This record gives sequence, C-alpha cells and structure tokens, in this order.
Amino acid sequence: MRLHLALRAAWIGWQTLLVLLPVAAVAHRAAQEGLGGVTGALADPIAKAALGLSVGLGFVCAAVHAVLGTALAWALVRWDFVGRVWLQALIDLPLAVPTLVAGLLVVALTGPATPLGRGLEAAGLPVSFAVPGVVLALLFVTLPNVVRTVKPVLEGLDPAEEEAAILLGASDARVLRSVVLPPLVPAIGAGCAQVFGRCVAEFGAVAAVSGNIPGKTLTASVWVLGEVEAGDLVAASVVSLVLLAAAVLMHGLSLRLSRWAGARRG
Amino acid sequence: MLWFLLFACGGGAPNEGGPAPLTLTLAGYTTPREAYAELLPRFAERWKAEHGQELRFETSWQASGAQSRAVAGGFEADVVALSLAPDVDRLVEAGLVAPTWASAPHGGMVTTSLVVVAVRPGNPRGIQDWPDLAAPGLEVLTPNVRTSGGAMWNVAGVVGAGLRGRAGVNAGDEAGAEALLAGVLRNVKVMDKGARESLVNFEKGVGDAAITYENEVLVARAAGRPMDYVVPPSTIVIENPVAVVDGYVDRRGTRAAAEALVAWLHTDEAQAVYARHGLRPVQASLIPSDWPRPEDAFRVADFGGWPALTQRLFADGALYDRALAQAQGR
Repeated sequence: MRLHLALRAAWIGWQTLLVLLPVAAVAHRAAQEGLGGVTGALADPIAKAALGLSVGLGFVCAAVHAVLGTALAWALVRWDFVGRVWLQALIDLPLAVPTLVAGLLVVALTGPATPLGRGLEAAGLPVSFAVPGVVLALLFVTLPNVVRTVKPVLEGLDPAEEEAAILLGASDARVLRSVVLPPLVPAIGAGCAQVFGRCVAEFGAVAAVSGNIPGKTLTASVWVLGEVEAGDLVAASVVSLVLLAAAVLMHGLSLRLSRWAGARRG
Repeated sequence: MLWFLLFACGGGAPNEGGPAPLTLTLAGYTTPREAYAELLPRFAERWKAEHGQELRFETSWQASGAQSRAVAGGFEADVVALSLAPDVDRLVEAGLVAPTWASAPHGGMVTTSLVVVAVRPGNPRGIQDWPDLAAPGLEVLTPNVRTSGGAMWNVAGVVGAGLRGRAGVNAGDEAGAEALLAGVLRNVKVMDKGARESLVNFEKGVGDAAITYENEVLVARAAGRPMDYVVPPSTIVIENPVAVVDGYVDRRGTRAAAEALVAWLHTDEAQAVYARHGLRPVQASLIPSDWPRPEDAFRVADFGGWPALTQRLFADGALYDRALAQAQGR
C-alpha cells in the first residue's frame, strides 16, 4: 500500500515536472520586464492581430468539424459499406503526416501555379497565401479529432432507439435532434476543444500556406517564431503564454466534456 | 557533440609518421554551401602539400542568425561564414571572436552580392527600379525581417536607395523613403522565413517579383530554373563575413589551420570559385566582366554601419514598423 502510494506520488510528481518546468521557464521569461513588458507585448498591433487570427481560425475549424466530424463518425458507425476500414484509415492519416505537408498540399492544389489556383484568384477568392488556405490546411490536420471522440460514444448507443423513434413516426430531422445528437453533444464538444487547441498552436501547416503577412495572415504561433529569431524573448514568451493558456483551457474543457459524456453513457 | 568527438578520435589513425590528422569545423549560412563543397577539399589538398598533415572538415549549414546563436551558445566551430556582420558581432559580444576581426583585409568580408529583383522570364511587368515594385496589383515576395537576415538587406536596399536621393525620393527624405517602402510592402504577398524559401516559392509560380540576392538568382538559373533579374540603378552591396572563432581554436589546437583557411579564402583562386557559384569576389577586379554594375552601389558603411542602420530601420517603432503600419492603413 505504501509502495503503491509512493509510486503514485512519484508518477504525479514526474508528470508535474514534465509540464510545469517548461511552463514556469516561459512564465519567468515573460515576467522578466515586469508588467510593462507583458502589456507592451500584448499592445503590439501585429501581435494582437495574430492572436485574433489564431483564435478565429480555432473557432471556425471547430465549428466545421462539429458538423463534418460528427457526420463522418456517424457514417463510419452506422453505415456498412465497402472500404469502411480504408475510410477510417484515411481519416487518421493526418496523425501520421508531418503537418508541414498539409500546408504544402494546399499550396500544391490551389497555388498560383495551378489552374485551380489561377481560377480562384481570378474569381477574387485566393486560397493559397490567404486565410481560406490556412483554414483548409488546419481542417486537414484536425480531421481525426472529432471523429475520434464521437465514434466510441456512437458505437455505445443502441441503434434500436433510432429505429423505435422512426417506427413511432418521427421525421429524420426529429430523430437526429431528439435521439442521436443529445448523447453525442459532450463528445462533439470535447473533439471541438481539441480542434481549437490544435489550430491555435499549429505551426508547420500554417507557415507553409499562410503567406505570413503581419496583420493579415500572420498567426500567433508564426509570430512567436519571428520574435524568438529577432531576439525579443519577452514578447515571444508573453504571447506563448496566452497560447498556452488557451490550449490549457480548451484541453481542460475537453477532459471535462469527455468525462461528462462517459458518465451519461454509463 | 559526443558524435563529433568520436569522429575526431576515429580520424586519429597513425599515418606513416606524419602529424595526426586535424579536423576543422566550419559553421556557415546556407547560401554558399555549394561553393564551400568545392573550396574546402582544395584547401585541404594545399594544407597537406605544405604541412604533410591531413585536414578534414566538419560543416554545418543553417540560417545565419541561427548559426551565430548556435556558436555563441557553445557549438565549437573553428571558422564561421555568416551572412552579415551583426551575426559575427554577436560572437564578439559572447567573447568568442576578437573585436579586431573587422580590421582584417576587406573588413573581414569574403564575398559580396547585390540586392536585386528576380522577375519572370522576359520581365513581363517591366520592372526597372524600386518604385516599380509598388505598382498596383503587382505581387512581391520578400522574407520576414524578423527571421531573415536577407530580408534586412532587402529593406536596406529599398530604403537606402530612397535616402540616397534615388528611386524617386529626395536625398535624406526619411518620410519619402518610408512611403517607398510602404508601397512595396503593400504588394508583398508572402513573407517567408528565409531567403531560400522565398525564392523557392517564387520558382513555384508565386508572385511577379521577388526581392532577393543576385547569387540566389544565379544559382537558380544555373540549375535550369527560368527567371531573369533586374538590378535597380541604386542598390545595396551585401557583404558576407568570415571569421576565426578565437574562443574555440586555441582550445582545440586548430588556430594555425583556421587562420590559414580564412587567409586562403581571399586568394584569387578561392575568390574565382565563389564567383562560379554566383557570389561576387571582394576584389572588384575579379568580378566577371559581364555581370551588371549598378550606377549607385552603396554599402552599410554609407549609413554609419550596422548598429546605426539597425537602429534607424529596424528598432521598435522605427522606419520599417512605420512603413508596415502605413502599408496596412493602420
């Protein structure tokens, strides 16, 4: 028993060190110039625009995957079709691909050297080196998140409930609204929180496709790199902390929702 | 580091009573990598002939600023070849390079180049000078000044031309130079992390023009990639330093070879190799006669050296920040 407790304490201590030490180091750096350094870094219009863009990208991608990811998970669980396993593998692909590749893919598909890219540009809707391209790259990178949180919950639900609702005369929309979605909501929320955190923190996929124009397409994570390279570690640390806080917040939310989803299932 | 030690020891096999082989570590920025692939074996041959000692090279290539920070942080290079003087000055501040490095011949510089404008074959947009880059609807590439030494040269080229009374700006008209830069920045479509990435994007078909170095264009053209370049009438001469890292060579017992290498890099023979790789020799007489000569080629020294120029252009809220804000209508 005592050994067990000691092991547990050591484990928790190790985890805490692993996370808290680097965070403390960043916080220490951020606080180096006092409150003035912090407010100064956050008052920078380019930093503010970058943070705004990153948070906005996080919300947009989370919203898209709330619908797309849930639909994909539903199709994977409820429909039996040839190649289902392959579709699942395809959805998990972004986990195995360096995220930089996601950015390069979008450029390869919609860059100015491609007919599609030239057409989009002529239509006044540039994708590569503009915000839509960043959204596409991020949607690719975060594709598995919602699918992976929703699918297990969906598998635990009894299709008989849906069938009963249909037999009782409920419309498809009514079945979706009243029977399918309610138990899924926490899982969808958890997946979306993960998507948000990932988008806010993502670097590789973004840097390749965004164009990185300060105030327009420069995201917070890429901005941080610029400050590090330019030697302004205080500003870089302050914005890093904001990103970190957002990620922690979203991750906590995700855990909470997952737990709630689990409890409702059980 | 351990790997390096193993390598150095592994090389210590006895060779017919001659002195033990010596390993020199060169830390460079990426641009002249191909030139050094040719230069270093030649120097090793010469060293062997003169001293009977085998000379081996360990090389590391990355962006100039990152390389400089690595050496300052403990990467024990014997010789550094960097993109711009401030990256050597960082090593002076770290106590690794003697402050006298810049009093070597040619001010410690080993090659030069020019800030030029890469354009599509045949120059379809008719770009001749810096103000042409501000034409409405034109798309320009230049890297981010925060991450790229090359971008700082580019901005210094545009602004410097203006401050010298060229490019449609009156001499010394700071606001005019700022407006010129703002016009160019307004057209910048992609700000890459470094000069190489920027030109690679240009090769992929992004943009109408890319502000870059002459040698980058010459290397790309030698590799068969179609592009032309325009040398604006007034542009800045890029000057790339080499230096012996005093703080490391004495400990490693490599000073004699490191100093001999740096001296040899200034010989006509070595300078001709640089020229074959698109870099301009520091001796003007060795620059190939068919390379363009801008009317007004100015240098960082014309603006009082790097510290003064950095302060004037790149300090917080200085000319670059103001031009960027102006470009974005802030």
